[in-house]
Amino acid sequence: MQFLTYILCQTGKNLRQTWGAQVMTLLTVTLSVLIFAFFFLIYTNMLRASAQLGDDVRLIVYLDQEVTEQMRPVLETRIRDFGPVEKIVFVSRAEAFARLSAQMGKEKDVLNDLGPDFLPPSLEVYPLKNLNDLSKINQFSDFLQTLPYVTKVQSGLDWLQRFGYFTSLLRIVVLLSGSLLIISMTFIVSYTLRLTVLSRQGELEILRLLGASSAYIRLPLLLEGMLQGVLGSSLGLAALYILYQWIVSRFSGPGFLKLFEFTFFPFELTAAILLAGIVLCTVGSLFSIRRFIRI
Amino acid sequence: MPRDASTDKPLVELVNITKIYPPDIVALEDVSLRIYKGEILFLTGMSGAGKTTLIKLLFCLETPTRGLIEIAGRDLFRLSPVGIQQMRQKIGVAYQDFRLLDKQTVFQNIAMAMEVTYASAKEIRVRVGELLDLLNLASKRNKPVGELSRGEQQRVALARAAANRPTLLLADEPTGNLDQTTTELVINLFRRLNEEDGSTIVVATHDESIYAKTEHRVVELHNGQLAAHLEQTPRQVELF
Ligand SMILES: Nc1ncnc2c1ncn2[C@@H]1O[C@H](COP(=O)(O)OP(=O)(O)OP(=O)(O)O)[C@@H](O)[C@H]1O
Ligand SMILES: [Mg+2]
Repeated sequence: MQFLTYILCQTGKNLRQTWGAQVMTLLTVTLSVLIFAFFFLIYTNMLRASAQLGDDVRLIVYLDQEVTEQMRPVLETRIRDFGPVEKIVFVSRAEAFARLSAQMGKEKDVLNDLGPDFLPPSLEVYPLKNLNDLSKINQFSDFLQTLPYVTKVQSGLDWLQRFGYFTSLLRIVVLLSGSLLIISMTFIVSYTLRLTVLSRQGELEILRLLGASSAYIRLPLLLEGMLQGVLGSSLGLAALYILYQWIVSRFSGPGFLKLFEFTFFPFELTAAILLAGIVLCTVGSLFSIRRFIRI
Repeated sequence: MPRDASTDKPLVELVNITKIYPPDIVALEDVSLRIYKGEILFLTGMSGAGKTTLIKLLFCLETPTRGLIEIAGRDLFRLSPVGIQQMRQKIGVAYQDFRLLDKQTVFQNIAMAMEVTYASAKEIRVRVGELLDLLNLASKRNKPVGELSRGEQQRVALARAAANRPTLLLADEPTGNLDQTTTELVINLFRRLNEEDGSTIVVATHDESIYAKTEHRVVELHNGQLAAHLEQTPRQVELF
């Protein structure tokens, strides 16, 4: 108990003596956590979104005439011969029209002038889920193009592909900001601690002469690093949460964010980031302690 | 009172200690000395005789070039870092150059010695107050040490050394900057520590006035060597 009081007192003394540097370090730690966590948040959301999109992949094949009952099995076997397909849906002109007017809801009157035949018949091919590889789906799309009656194959793949590129770019950014996080935390914390050690060198020397235990000398420094980690990471995550709330309130409503629900980290991940921040800062302080204090 | 050297077990035993500072400055040469539990010992000699060096050796601040030092039967230079740390808590040292923290107050400087032993805040307050009264420093309690006179700083250093009621007190030139009255305060402190707490006290000094009339043992260093056994003839006139 007495021991703990002294350790805490010492820590407080240290913080007071170098508070300018302490505040700067805290800001740096906070910022690095914020930057890293921000990109990481976007990345995890993108990953989830692309998984969702991958689930919905379907190829729509527009035809220039209705497929007769006899033709259906022929087309179906040709398609299934090429690759694994979950299901194939034939959509006639009438069905296409019914779908559209259902989608339009109240405004379906607009369609009355156009007549029920203005939409082309089509064929919807749902590749098996495990065919998520974009290049395979591309091949599939090329193949469908060669079938009779086909005018156009719409896959939405371009978009999915761009989404994929963006996700991998983001992965690099996450890795980079993660490294930044590691470097800034360990090095800056250890640097600040060195300032503490230097500013108290005379005192530490005398403590040694008075027979202070190594815990008495080292623990406050370790605690200082740990404190930077706890405060910096929590502040960074709190700032990210505020930013997140702002984005959600700003961009909610119909549109992009409605399509992919933008969510915050689950509790476990938040805790993991916090813990990582604390560990990194503690490691940083260990560096200094080992390098600058010999007992 | 002087101890009977032949029956007591020595608290400190130096055996053939030689200390050579690089490159070839011989500070101590073949010094053998026993310091008994509960005694007061004066270590005298001219400037440069090796008094400070001997005290540093006892406190593990320097290592001897040759020889053996045992404290309470334990080889000083085989102690683990933790062993050294524990030993230092039991030895109070008043350094010739004080080694105080100028920016901290008198109270803080003295309290530091007790804080490292995890004494309670109350114990510290009481003990420091007592020492400040004994050394006539009570009015300087909350002054930064840097603003004190040399003589006052010297007494702060002594108070810090005495704070934990050490088993062994090493005082290096404790009266160098003091007048006669203040010197008596210091000697009074030594006597109290010795009588009430059973502390063994080693005083390194060339101030003849404090050992001239003592009944305690006086040993003299001369160019790093222990001079002829002055301690065989304890003086009977009391100052202590
Ligand atoms: N760190 C050192 N490096 C080299 N030589 C040293 C060192 N410390 C002391 N000496 C030398 O060792 C000798 C003994 O010095 P020491 O300080 O022990 O003398 P002293 O008896 O305490 O003198 P004084 O009464 O002036 O304090 C001196 O010649 C000194 O120059
Ligand atoms: Mg000296």
